[in-house]
Amino acid sequence: MTIEEQIDLSLDNRLTATEQAALEAALLSDPESMTLYVQRRWLHAELLCDRSLLSTPEEDSPLRETKKAKGSLLALAAAATLSLFSLTSFFLKDLNENHPVATLIEAENCRWEGSDLPTAEGASLGTGTLSLAEGMATIQFESGATVTLEAPTVLEVASSMRCRLIEGSVVAEVPESAHGFTIDTEKMEVIDLGTRFGVTSSTVGGSHVFVFDGEVKVRQDDQEKAKHIFSGKSLHLGAPPVTADQEIVQRPHPENALSNWIPVSTAFGKGKDAYLRRTDRSGMTGKDPLLMVKHTELAPGNERRALLTFDLARIDRSGMQDAKLTLMMESSGLGFSSLVPDSTFTVYGALSRGTHQWNESKITWENSPHLTKPSPEKALFAPLAQFTITKGSARSLIEIGSDELSRFLLSNDDELVTLLLVRETGEFDKQGLVHAFASKEHPSGPAPTLWFQPAPRP
Amino acid sequence: MMSDLDPSEQTEAYLNLLNKHERKLSVYVHTLVRDLADAEDIMQACRLTMWKRFSSFEAGSSFPAWGKKIALNQILNYRRSVKRKPLHTADPEFIESVAKEIDRQSDELLERSEALKECLRKLPDQQRQTIVLRYYDGCEIEEIARTTGRTGGAVYRLLSRIRRSLNECITSRLRLSA
Repeated sequence: MTIEEQIDLSLDNRLTATEQAALEAALLSDPESMTLYVQRRWLHAELLCDRSLLSTPEEDSPLRETKKAKGSLLALAAAATLSLFSLTSFFLKDLNENHPVATLIEAENCRWEGSDLPTAEGASLGTGTLSLAEGMATIQFESGATVTLEAPTVLEVASSMRCRLIEGSVVAEVPESAHGFTIDTEKMEVIDLGTRFGVTSSTVGGSHVFVFDGEVKVRQDDQEKAKHIFSGKSLHLGAPPVTADQEIVQRPHPENALSNWIPVSTAFGKGKDAYLRRTDRSGMTGKDPLLMVKHTELAPGNERRALLTFDLARIDRSGMQDAKLTLMMESSGLGFSSLVPDSTFTVYGALSRGTHQWNESKITWENSPHLTKPSPEKALFAPLAQFTITKGSARSLIEIGSDELSRFLLSNDDELVTLLLVRETGEFDKQGLVHAFASKEHPSGPAPTLWFQPAPRP
Repeated sequence: MMSDLDPSEQTEAYLNLLNKHERKLSVYVHTLVRDLADAEDIMQACRLTMWKRFSSFEAGSSFPAWGKKIALNQILNYRRSVKRKPLHTADPEFIESVAKEIDRQSDELLERSEALKECLRKLPDQQRQTIVLRYYDGCEIEEIARTTGRTGGAVYRLLSRIRRSLNECITSRLRLSA
């Protein structure tokens, strides 16, 4: 255990009497450690004494009793924290000179939103937040570490040796001078030990660390020991599952362009959606909030396709003149978009009624040979439309329309329609991005939806 | 000398000075004394002693420096009087050595306190909540574990991580303003 770790344990009184005595003896004989000890203890004491800010005026007598009842503090805490933090933040924001700790060295095709740091290429960055909505950007920290942000990503620059990934994907390259460079995520701390590595963090997809080269140390709050990850290895932390009883509030579709169109999502009637993955170690994927899609020749086990079935019983298709599909692109938290080209997808339409008969809680890659042929069989599936998602695209609603798709949807009088979504393009590295779209189980993103435009009445 | 003032003026002067410097003094005591209850008892004794000796305090001299001397004496006396808690009560030699180091670093420690305010502001909500529970509400680890749905071990590790990141933030701010 390092002396710093011992000092930290002593703050929470977690050393035994013998260990404490040994620490004190060590501190007495080493002035440098003593300096460190005083700084860490001082910080701890500062935090303890901030409680004094909670004291009420009537207690302000020189001989007052300082031990306070815990219960009353609990109620005050919320208000006090709020005033303490929001007031200091309000006043300090403008006073803070914000010295540069990094430089934005590359920003191509970027769209930024809600960033409190400058976003022009070449800008000096102090501490603060960068929110990249589209494109890719690279920042170089004063320590020498470079971090590439892949949209959509929110990153907080904390110091020249530390940043915090709030959501999204970054790839870090860390030279010798910056060993110890740390990326914080909600669930873990990734500490560089000489390397190039990537980190993703997503609220519905979990966190993922991948080491391209070298070694990193990962500290998780719920694990006793730090984990070391070496070249070519990765660590995935599952996200808290979106629970079944969570209230699902669908975001409304943008109204303007599709105002007189009639929507039917996979959440309607007998509609359903799922994705299949060739090796499914984690079990069924039919009820996931995300529909994940990936094509790869490098790691065939990661191949994923999405299957969408819509219930069109209530749509009078003879009265419609056009139809299209919308998908809400979400972040999967898996893989890096710098490792895939601009990606092309094909939407196939199922030609056989048998294809509509599937069950979200039973379907797997294994038990669906008709869905998993490298190119879908011509007798079963017709290609209807293609679309492209460029590298670093923002989370956005994708509109897919073509004459074939429209004809297929309108000339079909089955109650159900089933579409298969396949990515055609592969990846440069096994850790390439997995694309994801909101499924009907997604807590906020709109489900896959077919839109029908009524023909003008004669 | 404060004894030149009449009693009500003395009381007012004392209260003003205490009000202004009490928190600093309290941080000093908490840095030297590991047990929370001990530290609070000592602070209480300090307030009394300072009040009793206030007539000997020279107007215009440094109240915190005067207070620190009294506090250190209180701590050492307390240490001598209490033999019951060897775990929380350090050796006088150690206490004096820490006190010396605090004096040596006193300017930097004040800067560190200033930087801490800004660094606290930047904590993510979840970490801020943990700090509030532990330091402001004085919750036990088990209580925090229950409230936040973690294990006790996880709470300790989270706290340690937050302190480490605050400390790094402070160090880096100091380096930049140097």
